Amino acid sequence: MSEIKSESVSSLVDNYSPSTDDSVSTHLVDNMLKDEHLSSTWQNYHLIGDVLRDEVPQSLQLDLSKTISAAIAQEATILSPNSSTQAFSKILAESTASSLDESNTGQKVTQTRNTNRVINAANRFKSKISTLVKPMGQVAIAASAAALMIVGVQQNVTDNDLVTPSQVVQTMPLTGYANPVSFNVQSAEPRYSSQSKQKPQQATNEQNAAQRVVQQRRLQALLSDHNKQVKLGSNIQ
Amino acid sequence: MKLSVLLFLLLSFNVSAIATDKESAKLWLERLSQSLRQLNFTTSFVVVKNNQAEPYHWLHGIGENDQELEIFTRLNGPRRDVLRQGEIVSYIEPEQDAYSLISPDARGPIPTIFRDDISRLEESYRFISVGRSRVLGRVAQLVRIVAKDKYRFSYWLWLDQNTGLLLKMAILTRQGKLLEQIQFTHIEVSDQLSENLVELQLTKLPDAMQLNQTLNKDLSWQVDWLPQGFSILKSNQHNLYSHNRSDNKAVDFMLFSDGLTEVSVYVNPSNENFRAPEYASDGATMVFNHILQGVEVGVVGDIPLATAKKIAESIIPVSVINIKDDSQSSVRAK
Repeated sequence: MSEIKSESVSSLVDNYSPSTDDSVSTHLVDNMLKDEHLSSTWQNYHLIGDVLRDEVPQSLQLDLSKTISAAIAQEATILSPNSSTQAFSKILAESTASSLDESNTGQKVTQTRNTNRVINAANRFKSKISTLVKPMGQVAIAASAAALMIVGVQQNVTDNDLVTPSQVVQTMPLTGYANPVSFNVQSAEPRYSSQSKQKPQQATNEQNAAQRVVQQRRLQALLSDHNKQVKLGSNIQ
Repeated sequence: MKLSVLLFLLLSFNVSAIATDKESAKLWLERLSQSLRQLNFTTSFVVVKNNQAEPYHWLHGIGENDQELEIFTRLNGPRRDVLRQGEIVSYIEPEQDAYSLISPDARGPIPTIFRDDISRLEESYRFISVGRSRVLGRVAQLVRIVAKDKYRFSYWLWLDQNTGLLLKMAILTRQGKLLEQIQFTHIEVSDQLSENLVELQLTKLPDAMQLNQTLNKDLSWQVDWLPQGFSILKSNQHNLYSHNRSDNKAVDFMLFSDGLTEVSVYVNPSNENFRAPEYASDGATMVFNHILQGVEVGVVGDIPLATAKKIAESIIPVSVINIKDDSQSSVRAK
Protein backbone atom coordinates (compact mmCIF):
# COMPACT_ATOMS: atom_id res chain seq x y z
CA MET A 1 0.00 0.00 0.00
CA SER A 2 2.60 2.52 1.08
CA GLU A 3 4.90 1.49 -1.76
CA ILE A 4 2.19 2.14 -4.26
CA LYS A 5 1.54 5.46 -2.64
CA SER A 6 5.19 6.45 -2.63
CA GLU A 7 5.42 5.41 -6.24
CA SER A 8 2.52 7.62 -7.12
CA VAL A 9 4.09 10.42 -5.11
CA SER A 10 7.27 9.89 -7.08
CA SER A 11 5.43 10.12 -10.34
CA LEU A 12 3.64 13.24 -9.08
CA VAL A 13 7.02 14.79 -8.32
CA ASP A 14 8.09 13.90 -11.84
CA ASN A 15 5.12 15.84 -13.11
CA TYR A 16 2.92 13.12 -14.43
CA SER A 17 0.24 11.10 -12.70
CA PRO A 18 0.32 7.28 -12.85
CA SER A 19 -3.32 6.95 -13.72
CA THR A 20 -5.12 8.80 -16.40
CA ASP A 21 -7.77 9.69 -13.82
CA ASP A 22 -7.16 13.11 -12.35
CA SER A 23 -9.20 12.36 -9.26
CA VAL A 24 -6.56 9.94 -8.06
CA SER A 25 -3.91 12.57 -8.09
CA THR A 26 -6.10 15.03 -6.13
CA HIS A 27 -6.91 12.23 -3.74
CA LEU A 28 -3.21 11.61 -3.38
CA VAL A 29 -2.49 15.25 -2.61
CA ASP A 30 -5.15 15.20 0.09
CA ASN A 31 -3.61 12.08 1.55
CA MET A 32 -0.19 13.60 1.43
CA LEU A 33 -1.30 16.67 3.35
CA LYS A 34 -2.74 14.49 6.08
CA ASP A 35 0.00 11.87 6.26
CA GLU A 36 3.23 13.13 7.72
CA HIS A 37 5.20 10.22 6.32
CA LEU A 38 3.94 10.85 2.83
CA SER A 39 4.66 14.54 2.93
CA SER A 40 8.21 13.88 4.11
CA THR A 41 8.54 11.42 1.25
CA TRP A 42 7.35 14.15 -1.10
CA GLN A 43 9.96 16.47 0.35
CA ASN A 44 12.72 13.87 0.06
CA TYR A 45 11.85 13.05 -3.56
CA HIS A 46 12.05 16.72 -4.42
CA LEU A 47 15.43 16.96 -2.71
CA ILE A 48 16.68 13.91 -4.61
CA GLY A 49 15.46 15.42 -7.83
CA ASP A 50 17.19 18.71 -7.01
CA VAL A 51 20.46 16.92 -6.27
CA LEU A 52 20.26 14.95 -9.53
CA ARG A 53 19.56 18.09 -11.50
CA ASP A 54 22.31 19.91 -9.60
CA GLU A 55 19.96 22.57 -8.37
CA VAL A 56 20.87 22.37 -4.71
CA PRO A 57 21.81 25.72 -3.15
CA GLN A 58 25.27 26.06 -1.62
CA SER A 59 24.12 25.83 1.96
CA LEU A 60 21.46 23.25 2.41
CA GLN A 61 18.88 23.83 5.09
CA LEU A 62 16.75 20.75 5.23
CA ASP A 63 14.28 21.61 7.90
CA LEU A 64 13.62 25.27 7.32
CA SER A 65 9.87 24.99 7.72
CA LYS A 66 10.17 23.05 10.95
CA THR A 67 12.67 25.45 12.52
CA ILE A 68 10.48 28.39 11.60
CA SER A 69 7.37 26.85 13.03
CA ALA A 70 9.30 25.88 16.14
CA ALA A 71 10.59 29.41 16.49
CA ILE A 72 7.06 30.76 16.12
CA ALA A 73 5.83 28.37 18.77
CA GLN A 74 8.56 29.42 21.17
CA GLU A 75 8.15 33.09 20.49
CA ALA A 76 6.79 34.91 23.53
CA THR A 77 3.59 36.71 22.64
CA ILE A 78 3.91 40.36 23.56
CA LEU A 79 1.02 42.61 24.48
CA SER A 80 -1.32 39.63 24.20
CA PRO A 81 -3.98 39.51 26.90
CA ASN A 82 -4.52 35.78 26.57
CA SER A 83 -1.38 34.51 28.25
CA SER A 84 -1.75 36.63 31.38
CA THR A 85 -5.48 36.09 31.69
CA GLN A 86 -5.07 32.39 31.13
CA ALA A 87 -2.69 32.26 34.04
CA PHE A 88 -5.13 34.36 36.00
CA SER A 89 -7.99 31.99 35.21
CA LYS A 90 -5.86 29.03 36.21
CA ILE A 91 -5.15 30.61 39.56
CA LEU A 92 -8.83 31.35 40.00
CA ALA A 93 -9.74 27.82 39.03
CA GLU A 94 -7.29 26.43 41.54
CA SER A 95 -8.56 28.65 44.30
CA THR A 96 -12.14 27.64 43.59
CA ALA A 97 -11.02 24.03 43.42
CA SER A 98 -9.36 24.22 46.81
CA SER A 99 -12.36 25.95 48.38
CA LEU A 100 -14.68 23.30 47.03
CA ASP A 101 -12.38 20.45 47.90
CA GLU A 102 -15.07 18.56 49.79
CA SER A 103 -17.80 18.90 47.22
CA ASN A 104 -18.14 16.50 44.34
CA THR A 105 -16.22 16.82 41.15
CA GLY A 106 -19.21 17.46 38.92
CA GLN A 107 -20.03 20.66 40.77
CA LYS A 108 -16.41 21.63 40.70
CA VAL A 109 -16.17 21.31 36.98
CA THR A 110 -19.30 23.35 36.36
CA GLN A 111 -18.15 26.00 38.80
CA THR A 112 -14.76 26.33 37.21
CA ARG A 113 -16.47 26.53 33.88
CA ASN A 114 -18.67 29.31 35.21
CA THR A 115 -15.77 31.26 36.57
CA ASN A 116 -14.00 30.64 33.31
CA ARG A 117 -16.89 32.10 31.47
CA VAL A 118 -16.86 35.17 33.67
CA ILE A 119 -13.16 35.51 33.22
CA ASN A 120 -13.58 35.02 29.50
CA ALA A 121 -15.96 37.95 29.46
CA ALA A 122 -13.46 39.92 31.48
CA ASN A 123 -10.83 38.76 29.06
CA ARG A 124 -12.75 40.08 26.17
CA PHE A 125 -13.16 43.44 27.86
CA LYS A 126 -9.49 43.56 28.74
CA SER A 127 -8.45 42.52 25.28
CA LYS A 128 -10.69 45.21 23.86
CA ILE A 129 -8.98 47.79 26.04
CA SER A 130 -5.59 46.45 25.17
CA THR A 131 -6.39 46.44 21.46
CA LEU A 132 -7.48 50.03 21.94
CA VAL A 133 -4.42 50.97 23.97
CA LYS A 134 -2.00 49.10 21.79
CA PRO A 135 -2.49 51.21 18.65
CA MET A 136 -2.41 54.33 20.80
CA GLY A 137 0.92 53.29 22.17
CA GLN A 138 2.08 52.54 18.69
CA VAL A 139 0.87 55.93 17.56
CA ALA A 140 2.79 57.57 20.41
CA ILE A 141 5.94 55.72 19.49
CA ALA A 142 5.42 56.51 15.83
CA ALA A 143 4.82 60.17 16.67
CA SER A 144 7.96 60.46 18.73
CA ALA A 145 9.91 58.71 16.02
CA ALA A 146 8.45 61.10 13.47
CA ALA A 147 9.37 64.07 15.68
CA LEU A 148 12.93 62.82 15.92
CA MET A 149 12.99 62.33 12.18
CA ILE A 150 11.74 65.85 11.58
CA VAL A 151 14.45 67.22 13.86
CA GLY A 152 17.00 65.16 12.00
CA VAL A 153 15.69 66.12 8.61
CA GLN A 154 15.67 69.80 9.54
CA GLN A 155 19.30 69.57 10.51
CA ASN A 156 20.13 67.72 7.36
CA VAL A 157 18.26 70.17 5.19
CA THR A 158 19.95 73.18 6.73
CA ASP A 159 23.29 71.51 6.32
CA ASN A 160 22.62 70.72 2.70
CA ASP A 161 21.52 74.28 2.09
CA LEU A 162 24.96 75.56 2.68
CA VAL A 163 26.85 72.59 1.46
CA THR A 164 25.61 73.08 -2.08
CA PRO A 165 26.61 76.72 -2.45
CA SER A 166 30.01 75.88 -1.04
CA GLN A 167 30.62 73.92 -4.20
CA VAL A 168 30.72 77.24 -5.95
CA VAL A 169 33.92 77.84 -4.06
CA GLN A 170 35.44 74.70 -5.39
CA THR A 171 34.47 75.09 -9.02
CA MET A 172 35.03 78.85 -9.16
CA PRO A 173 38.34 79.69 -10.83
CA LEU A 174 40.24 82.03 -8.57
CA THR A 175 41.02 84.47 -11.33
CA GLY A 176 38.67 87.36 -10.74
CA TYR A 177 39.15 90.06 -8.18
CA ALA A 178 36.66 92.66 -7.14
CA ASN A 179 36.84 95.56 -9.51
CA PRO A 180 36.02 98.88 -7.93
CA VAL A 181 32.88 99.03 -10.03
CA SER A 182 32.04 95.37 -10.09
CA PHE A 183 28.67 95.30 -8.44
CA ASN A 184 25.36 95.41 -10.19
CA VAL A 185 23.46 98.62 -9.99
CA GLN A 186 19.71 98.39 -9.98
CA SER A 187 17.44 101.35 -10.15
CA ALA A 188 14.22 100.97 -8.27
CA GLU A 189 12.31 102.75 -11.01
CA PRO A 190 13.03 102.87 -14.71
CA ARG A 191 13.48 106.55 -15.27
CA TYR A 192 13.25 108.28 -18.62
CA SER A 193 10.67 105.76 -19.66
CA SER A 194 8.25 108.45 -20.80
CA GLN A 195 10.94 110.39 -22.64
CA SER A 196 12.31 107.36 -24.38
CA LYS A 197 9.23 107.08 -26.50
CA GLN A 198 9.81 110.47 -28.06
CA LYS A 199 13.58 110.29 -28.52
CA PRO A 200 15.44 108.07 -30.96
CA GLN A 201 16.35 104.72 -29.47
CA GLN A 202 20.10 105.19 -29.73
CA ALA A 203 20.12 108.51 -27.98
CA THR A 204 18.18 107.14 -25.04
CA ASN A 205 20.48 104.16 -24.87
CA GLU A 206 23.51 106.40 -24.71
CA GLN A 207 21.84 108.58 -22.17
CA ASN A 208 20.88 105.56 -20.11
CA ALA A 209 24.43 104.27 -20.25
CA ALA A 210 25.83 107.64 -19.21
CA GLN A 211 23.22 107.87 -16.51
CA ARG A 212 24.19 104.43 -15.30
CA VAL A 213 27.86 105.35 -15.13
CA VAL A 214 27.05 108.44 -13.06
CA GLN A 215 24.84 106.38 -10.82
CA GLN A 216 27.47 103.72 -10.40
CA ARG A 217 30.12 106.29 -9.53
CA ARG A 218 27.82 107.86 -7.00
CA LEU A 219 27.20 104.54 -5.28
CA GLN A 220 30.85 103.55 -5.58
CA ALA A 221 31.89 106.77 -3.85
CA LEU A 222 29.52 105.97 -1.01
CA LEU A 223 30.78 102.40 -0.70
CA SER A 224 34.46 103.26 -0.68
CA ASP A 225 33.91 106.07 1.80
CA HIS A 226 31.95 103.67 4.00
CA ASN A 227 34.82 101.18 3.95
CA LYS A 228 37.28 103.94 4.79
CA GLN A 229 35.14 105.32 7.59
CA VAL A 230 34.69 101.89 9.10
CA LYS A 231 38.48 101.56 9.28
CA LEU A 232 38.82 105.02 10.78
CA GLY A 233 35.83 104.48 12.97
CA SER A 234 37.63 102.22 15.35
CA ASN A 235 40.05 105.08 15.91
CA ILE A 236 37.53 107.31 17.57
CA GLN A 237 35.98 104.95 20.04
CA MET B 1 1.75 54.76 31.73
CA LYS B 2 5.23 53.74 30.81
CA LEU B 3 4.81 55.38 27.46
CA SER B 4 3.70 58.66 28.95
CA VAL B 5 6.70 58.62 31.26
CA LEU B 6 8.87 57.92 28.25
CA LEU B 7 7.32 60.76 26.29
CA PHE B 8 7.74 63.11 29.22
CA LEU B 9 11.38 62.14 29.52
CA LEU B 10 11.84 62.66 25.80
CA LEU B 11 10.26 66.11 25.94
CA SER B 12 12.20 67.23 28.98
CA PHE B 13 15.38 66.04 27.34
CA ASN B 14 14.57 68.08 24.25
CA VAL B 15 13.90 71.23 26.28
CA SER B 16 17.12 70.86 28.20
CA ALA B 17 18.93 70.16 24.95
CA ILE B 18 17.71 73.48 23.53
CA ALA B 19 18.84 75.31 26.63
CA THR B 20 22.28 73.74 26.50
CA ASP B 21 22.42 74.49 22.75
CA LYS B 22 22.23 78.20 23.50
CA GLU B 23 24.87 77.93 26.18
CA SER B 24 27.19 75.82 24.08
CA ALA B 25 26.82 78.22 21.12
CA LYS B 26 28.03 81.07 23.30
CA LEU B 27 30.87 78.93 24.63
CA TRP B 28 31.89 78.15 21.06
CA LEU B 29 31.93 81.84 20.15
CA GLU B 30 33.94 82.69 23.27
CA ARG B 31 36.39 80.00 22.31
CA LEU B 32 36.63 81.48 18.80
CA SER B 33 37.37 84.91 20.28
CA GLN B 34 40.06 83.45 22.52
CA SER B 35 41.64 81.47 19.66
CA LEU B 36 41.70 84.51 17.37
CA ARG B 37 43.55 86.50 20.03
CA GLN B 38 45.97 83.90 21.35
CA LEU B 39 46.92 81.38 18.67
CA ASN B 40 49.67 81.52 16.08
CA PHE B 41 47.92 80.66 12.86
CA THR B 42 48.53 80.86 9.14
CA THR B 43 45.39 80.66 7.03
CA SER B 44 44.10 81.19 3.53
CA PHE B 45 40.52 81.94 2.72
CA VAL B 46 38.32 82.95 -0.16
CA VAL B 47 35.59 85.57 0.00
CA VAL B 48 32.80 84.63 -2.37
CA LYS B 49 30.40 87.39 -3.37
CA ASN B 50 28.93 88.83 -6.58
CA ASN B 51 29.88 85.60 -8.38
CA GLN B 52 33.53 86.33 -7.72
CA ALA B 53 36.10 84.84 -5.43
CA GLU B 54 38.74 86.93 -3.69
CA PRO B 55 41.56 84.95 -2.12
CA TYR B 56 43.30 86.19 1.03
CA HIS B 57 46.10 85.22 3.35
CA TRP B 58 45.54 85.81 7.04
CA LEU B 59 48.31 85.38 9.54
CA HIS B 60 48.23 85.99 13.25
CA GLY B 61 50.70 85.43 16.03
CA ILE B 62 51.98 86.53 19.38
CA GLY B 63 55.40 88.18 19.13
CA GLU B 64 57.78 89.56 21.73
CA ASN B 65 56.27 91.24 24.79
CA ASP B 66 52.97 89.53 24.00
CA GLN B 67 52.51 91.88 21.06
CA GLU B 68 49.89 90.71 18.63
CA LEU B 69 50.98 90.54 15.01
CA GLU B 70 48.50 90.20 12.19
CA ILE B 71 48.53 90.32 8.40
CA PHE B 72 45.65 90.37 5.95
CA THR B 73 46.72 90.21 2.31
CA ARG B 74 44.53 90.17 -0.74
CA LEU B 75 46.20 87.93 -3.26
CA ASN B 76 44.52 88.95 -6.53
CA GLY B 77 44.69 92.34 -8.19
CA PRO B 78 46.32 95.42 -6.73
CA ARG B 79 47.91 94.97 -3.31
CA ARG B 80 45.61 95.57 -0.41
CA ASP B 81 47.24 94.68 2.87
CA VAL B 82 46.48 95.24 6.50
CA LEU B 83 49.41 94.94 8.89
CA ARG B 84 49.14 95.11 12.64
CA GLN B 85 51.72 95.39 15.37
CA GLY B 86 49.85 95.55 18.66
CA GLU B 87 47.96 98.84 18.60
CA ILE B 88 49.34 100.11 15.30
CA VAL B 89 47.40 99.09 12.23
CA SER B 90 48.71 99.95 8.78
CA TYR B 91 46.66 99.87 5.62
CA ILE B 92 48.37 99.50 2.26
CA GLU B 93 45.92 100.34 -0.51
CA PRO B 94 46.21 101.15 -4.19
CA GLU B 95 44.20 104.38 -3.92
CA GLN B 96 46.52 106.17 -1.50
CA ASP B 97 49.81 106.06 0.35
CA ALA B 98 50.19 103.62 3.19
CA TYR B 99 48.88 104.98 6.47
CA SER B 100 48.70 103.82 10.06
CA LEU B 101 46.09 104.16 12.75
CA ILE B 102 45.99 103.49 16.45
CA SER B 103 43.35 100.79 16.65
CA PRO B 104 42.75 97.55 18.49
CA ASP B 105 41.52 95.77 15.35
CA ALA B 106 42.80 95.11 11.89
CA ARG B 107 39.83 95.54 9.57
CA GLY B 108 39.81 92.62 7.18
CA PRO B 109 36.90 90.68 5.73
CA ILE B 110 36.34 88.93 9.09
CA PRO B 111 34.11 90.91 11.48
CA THR B 112 36.29 92.19 14.31
CA ILE B 113 33.65 91.48 16.96
CA PHE B 114 34.57 87.79 16.73
CA ARG B 115 37.78 88.56 18.58
CA ASP B 116 36.09 90.84 21.10
CA ASP B 117 33.43 90.40 23.74
CA ILE B 118 30.79 88.40 21.91
CA SER B 119 28.11 89.06 24.54
CA ARG B 120 27.74 92.55 23.03
CA LEU B 121 25.74 90.90 20.26
CA GLU B 122 23.15 89.33 22.54
CA GLU B 123 20.89 92.37 22.36
CA SER B 124 20.23 91.97 18.64
CA TYR B 125 21.19 88.38 17.85
CA ARG B 126 20.57 84.88 19.17
CA PHE B 127 23.30 82.25 19.23
CA ILE B 128 22.29 78.75 18.20
CA SER B 129 24.51 75.73 18.09
CA VAL B 130 23.18 73.59 15.27
CA GLY B 131 25.27 70.52 14.61
CA ARG B 132 28.42 69.15 13.17
CA SER B 133 29.59 68.80 9.62
CA ARG B 134 32.82 68.40 7.71
CA VAL B 135 34.52 71.57 6.53
CA LEU B 136 38.09 71.82 5.24
CA GLY B 137 38.57 68.15 6.06
CA ARG B 138 37.92 68.83 9.72
CA VAL B 139 35.08 68.29 12.14
CA ALA B 140 33.27 71.60 12.30
CA GLN B 141 30.65 72.90 14.71
CA LEU B 142 28.00 75.07 13.07
CA VAL B 143 26.97 78.06 15.17
CA ARG B 144 24.36 80.45 13.89
CA ILE B 145 24.18 84.10 14.90
CA VAL B 146 20.55 84.75 14.09
CA ALA B 147 19.07 88.25 13.90
CA LYS B 148 16.25 88.78 16.37
CA ASP B 149 14.39 91.09 13.98
CA LYS B 150 13.99 91.43 10.23
CA TYR B 151 16.23 94.48 9.97
CA ARG B 152 19.57 92.68 9.69
CA PHE B 153 21.26 89.58 8.35
CA SER B 154 22.19 86.34 10.03
CA TYR B 155 25.68 84.88 10.21
CA TRP B 156 26.55 81.20 10.15
CA LEU B 157 29.94 80.17 11.45
CA TRP B 158 31.62 76.81 11.09
CA LEU B 159 34.20 76.45 13.85
CA ASP B 160 37.01 73.94 14.07
CA GLN B 161 36.41 71.43 16.82
CA ASN B 162 40.12 71.19 17.67
CA THR B 163 41.27 74.80 17.64
CA GLY B 164 38.02 76.77 17.76
CA LEU B 165 39.12 78.74 14.70
CA LEU B 166 36.81 79.83 11.91
CA LEU B 167 36.57 77.42 8.97
CA LYS B 168 33.70 78.96 7.05
CA MET B 169 31.31 81.86 7.38
CA ALA B 170 28.12 82.70 5.56
CA ILE B 171 25.92 85.78 5.61
CA LEU B 172 22.28 85.06 4.88
CA THR B 173 19.03 86.94 4.67
CA ARG B 174 16.16 86.08 6.94
CA GLN B 175 14.68 84.03 4.09
CA GLY B 176 17.84 81.96 3.94
CA LYS B 177 19.29 83.47 0.76
CA LEU B 178 23.06 83.30 0.74
CA LEU B 179 24.66 86.72 0.18
CA GLU B 180 28.32 86.28 0.92
CA GLN B 181 30.53 83.58 2.23
CA ILE B 182 34.05 83.10 3.39
CA GLN B 183 35.55 79.68 2.90
CA PHE B 184 38.89 78.86 4.45
CA THR B 185 41.10 76.77 2.24
CA HIS B 186 44.05 76.25 4.55
CA ILE B 187 44.60 76.45 8.29
CA GLU B 188 47.80 75.83 10.15
CA VAL B 189 48.25 76.37 13.87
CA SER B 190 51.79 76.37 15.21
CA ASP B 191 53.74 77.16 18.37
CA GLN B 192 56.27 79.24 16.45
CA LEU B 193 55.74 82.56 14.70
CA SER B 194 55.59 82.14 10.96
CA GLU B 195 58.36 83.73 8.87
CA ASN B 196 56.16 86.52 7.56
CA LEU B 197 55.21 87.56 11.06
CA VAL B 198 58.84 87.50 12.24
CA GLU B 199 59.56 89.81 9.32
CA LEU B 200 56.63 92.04 10.24
CA GLN B 201 57.92 92.24 13.78
CA LEU B 202 61.17 93.77 12.52
CA THR B 203 59.47 96.16 10.10
CA LYS B 204 58.87 99.78 11.02
CA LEU B 205 55.29 100.65 10.18
CA PRO B 206 54.38 104.21 9.11
CA ASP B 207 53.66 106.55 12.02
CA ALA B 208 50.08 106.63 13.12
CA MET B 209 48.41 109.61 11.50
CA GLN B 210 46.58 112.32 13.32
CA LEU B 211 43.02 112.52 12.15
CA ASN B 212 42.15 116.02 11.08
CA GLN B 213 38.46 115.43 10.70
CA THR B 214 36.24 117.46 12.97
CA LEU B 215 34.79 115.06 15.45
CA ASN B 216 31.20 114.97 16.56
CA LYS B 217 30.49 118.38 15.13
CA ASP B 218 26.93 119.55 15.37
CA LEU B 219 25.10 118.23 12.38
CA SER B 220 22.07 119.69 10.74
CA TRP B 221 20.47 116.30 10.08
CA GLN B 222 19.46 113.47 12.29
CA VAL B 223 18.33 109.87 11.90
CA ASP B 224 14.95 109.38 13.49
CA TRP B 225 14.75 105.60 13.16
CA LEU B 226 17.29 102.83 13.56
CA PRO B 227 16.86 99.13 14.21
CA GLN B 228 17.14 98.30 17.88
CA GLY B 229 20.67 97.68 19.07
CA PHE B 230 22.36 100.18 16.76
CA SER B 231 24.27 102.94 18.49
CA ILE B 232 26.23 105.82 17.04
CA LEU B 233 29.99 105.35 16.73
CA LYS B 234 30.79 108.76 15.37
CA SER B 235 29.48 111.66 13.33
CA ASN B 236 31.26 114.34 11.36
CA GLN B 237 31.26 116.45 8.25
CA HIS B 238 33.68 115.54 5.54
CA ASN B 239 34.13 115.68 1.81
CA LEU B 240 32.84 112.75 -0.16
CA TYR B 241 35.38 112.17 -2.91
CA SER B 242 33.91 110.98 -6.13
CA HIS B 243 35.46 109.95 -9.40
CA ASN B 244 35.12 113.46 -10.76
CA ARG B 245 36.96 115.99 -8.61
CA SER B 246 34.45 118.69 -9.37
CA ASP B 247 31.68 116.52 -7.95
CA ASN B 248 33.20 116.42 -4.48
CA LYS B 249 30.71 117.49 -1.92
CA ALA B 250 30.54 118.00 1.80
CA VAL B 251 28.29 115.58 3.61
CA ASP B 252 26.96 115.09 7.10
CA PHE B 253 28.17 111.69 8.10
CA MET B 254 27.05 109.31 10.83
CA LEU B 255 28.37 105.83 11.58
CA PHE B 256 26.24 103.37 13.53
CA SER B 257 26.98 99.87 14.71
CA ASP B 258 25.14 97.00 16.35
CA GLY B 259 28.41 95.28 17.22
CA LEU B 260 28.50 93.00 14.22
CA THR B 261 27.86 95.38 11.35
CA GLU B 262 28.33 99.09 10.65
CA VAL B 263 25.94 101.40 8.85
CA SER B 264 27.03 104.71 7.35
CA VAL B 265 24.53 107.49 6.70
CA TYR B 266 25.39 110.42 4.41
CA VAL B 267 23.18 113.48 4.14
CA ASN B 268 23.61 116.55 1.98
CA PRO B 269 21.30 119.11 0.36
CA SER B 270 20.95 118.65 -3.39
CA ASN B 271 20.13 120.82 -6.40
CA GLU B 272 17.62 118.27 -7.58
CA ASN B 273 14.37 118.02 -5.74
CA PHE B 274 13.71 114.35 -6.32
CA ARG B 275 15.57 111.29 -7.51
CA ALA B 276 14.14 107.82 -7.35
CA PRO B 277 15.81 105.40 -4.94
CA GLU B 278 18.78 103.60 -6.43
CA TYR B 279 20.73 100.84 -4.80
CA ALA B 280 23.48 98.35 -5.39
CA SER B 281 24.61 95.36 -3.42
CA ASP B 282 28.19 94.30 -2.97
CA GLY B 283 27.81 90.86 -1.42
CA ALA B 284 25.98 91.56 1.80
CA THR B 285 26.75 95.30 1.68
CA MET B 286 23.84 97.43 0.54
CA VAL B 287 24.44 100.87 -0.97
CA PHE B 288 21.31 102.97 -1.09
CA ASN B 289 20.83 106.49 -2.37
CA HIS B 290 17.88 108.78 -2.99
CA ILE B 291 16.89 112.43 -3.07
CA LEU B 292 13.73 113.35 -1.28
CA GLN B 293 12.53 116.96 -1.02
CA GLY B 294 15.93 118.33 -2.02
CA VAL B 295 17.87 116.23 0.46
CA GLU B 296 20.21 113.55 -0.78
CA VAL B 297 20.62 110.61 1.57
CA GLY B 298 23.02 107.69 1.20
CA VAL B 299 22.96 104.61 3.41
CA VAL B 300 25.68 101.95 3.28
CA GLY B 301 26.03 98.82 5.37
CA ASP B 302 25.46 95.09 5.68
CA ILE B 303 21.71 95.45 6.05
CA PRO B 304 18.65 94.51 3.97
CA LEU B 305 17.35 97.02 1.44
CA ALA B 306 14.18 97.63 3.45
CA THR B 307 16.23 98.66 6.48
CA ALA B 308 18.39 101.02 4.42
CA LYS B 309 15.30 102.56 2.88
CA LYS B 310 13.62 103.00 6.23
CA ILE B 311 16.71 104.66 7.70
CA ALA B 312 17.01 106.96 4.67
CA GLU B 313 13.38 107.98 4.93
CA SER B 314 13.69 108.76 8.61
CA ILE B 315 16.19 111.59 8.06
CA ILE B 316 14.93 114.85 9.55
CA PRO B 317 16.54 118.21 10.22
CA VAL B 318 17.84 118.63 13.75
CA SER B 319 16.01 121.93 14.10
CA VAL B 320 12.66 120.22 13.58
CA ILE B 321 13.28 118.03 16.57
CA ASN B 322 14.27 121.04 18.62
CA ILE B 323 11.04 122.76 17.82
CA LYS B 324 8.97 119.64 18.11
CA ASP B 325 10.27 118.41 21.41
CA ASP B 326 12.84 120.30 23.40
CA SER B 327 13.29 117.76 26.14
CA GLN B 328 13.86 114.98 23.66
CA SER B 329 16.66 116.82 21.92
CA SER B 330 18.36 117.50 25.21
CA VAL B 331 18.22 113.78 25.93
CA ARG B 332 19.67 113.07 22.52
CA ALA B 333 22.43 115.60 23.05
CA LYS B 334 23.61 113.60 26.00
